[in-house]
Amino acid sequence: MSLVRVVGAVAVLGAAVLVVLALAGPHLAGAPVLLVVSTVAACLAVAALAVQPWLTRRPQREPDHHRARKVGVHVRVGGIVTVLVVLHVVALLVEDPDDALYSMSPDGPTRARMALIATLLLGVVTLLGVLRRRLRWSPATWRFVHGSLAALVVVLGVGHAVVIQGALDGWGTPVLLVLGGLGAVGAVVRLVRVLRAPPPPGAATPPDGGRVRSGDGLRG
Amino acid sequence: MPVPAPRTRPHPVAVTAVLLLVAMIAAALWRSEESGTGARDVGGEAVPVAAPATVPAVPGAFCAPTVTNPGGRNNYRADAPLDVSLGRGLVITGVVRDAACRPLPGVPVQVWLQTALGSERENRTTVLTGPDGRYRVTSDPAVAQFGEPNVHVAHDVEGPWRSVFLRNVVDSEDTLATVDLTLVPSS
Repeated sequence: MSLVRVVGAVAVLGAAVLVVLALAGPHLAGAPVLLVVSTVAACLAVAALAVQPWLTRRPQREPDHHRARKVGVHVRVGGIVTVLVVLHVVALLVEDPDDALYSMSPDGPTRARMALIATLLLGVVTLLGVLRRRLRWSPATWRFVHGSLAALVVVLGVGHAVVIQGALDGWGTPVLLVLGGLGAVGAVVRLVRVLRAPPPPGAATPPDGGRVRSGDGLRG
Repeated sequence: MPVPAPRTRPHPVAVTAVLLLVAMIAAALWRSEESGTGARDVGGEAVPVAAPATVPAVPGAFCAPTVTNPGGRNNYRADAPLDVSLGRGLVITGVVRDAACRPLPGVPVQVWLQTALGSERENRTTVLTGPDGRYRVTSDPAVAQFGEPNVHVAHDVEGPWRSVFLRNVVDSEDTLATVDLTLVPSS
């Protein structure tokens, strides 16, 4: 079984445990439907974030059609994460606009500021994915920016879930830490690969000038 | 067979920008207050003895006026029922004074919080301060509302004293929350 499959299996198991813990715990007992929807969406988003960095293309060793399939899964999971986070935030806004807007304000608690920054960065990461070809950045530059911001999304988003009190207290905390650790390790591994890539043979300087060269545009 | 693209390093400007962004995020988190701007942890453990007598004001004393903190008005509603119990397990109490530290009797104080049985929008009551300026509300323990249990205390009725709204935090195990108010004249 490949490492990606193992990580995927852990993420699915983690998602199931988080959802069961949240729904079975006292915090959501008798809670409004929107709060339940928001919490379940957050649980699934955390699990998806854990596996997402591991779904990026693996260069060199795998055949082209395998790499393309992984990029496709990565894009789809990224879209799912974005939808889940939007659902999480909108449900909270509708359910309790006072507290939601306060949390998103500059006066909000640290945990809410973590979530706000993670959400904004998720938007940027998603936009970078959508605009990848239009930006015409070099693959290394694009991967570095996209991967760095995605790593921040994982750390801040899952960190927010860890420090917040509520439905995932108790056993939910170690599960969140495992999922967050998986996502963070995956993101860092990808970043290290990008940063350790050797310069092109014959290049005048190691960096690439940030612009894509002919033939680079469609490669991930 | 496609020719593999030459591998390169990210542009230094991109690396610098990301590092700057990380530093800015760290600073933003470092500067934030754990429970929100101006929110204090007012929780504690109730001691099973009579409430301490309010210390009379010393002539010339000055008590700093209480200022509405961010989030203090969250889920506020004006029509709180008068002097109803919100359960048992947590006592919310405090002394209402003027800026000369004199206790203010008969001043309405509204308390609202989320408990296991009621949301912050439903679980509320207004009580009047006693002759010693002290108010007291009994409630079920507070439960996390947006990530942390919190208690709202307000003087919200138009009258001789300016309104003030507070949002402070407690632990769910706390049995006592002490929130004193110092009011200033409304005109």
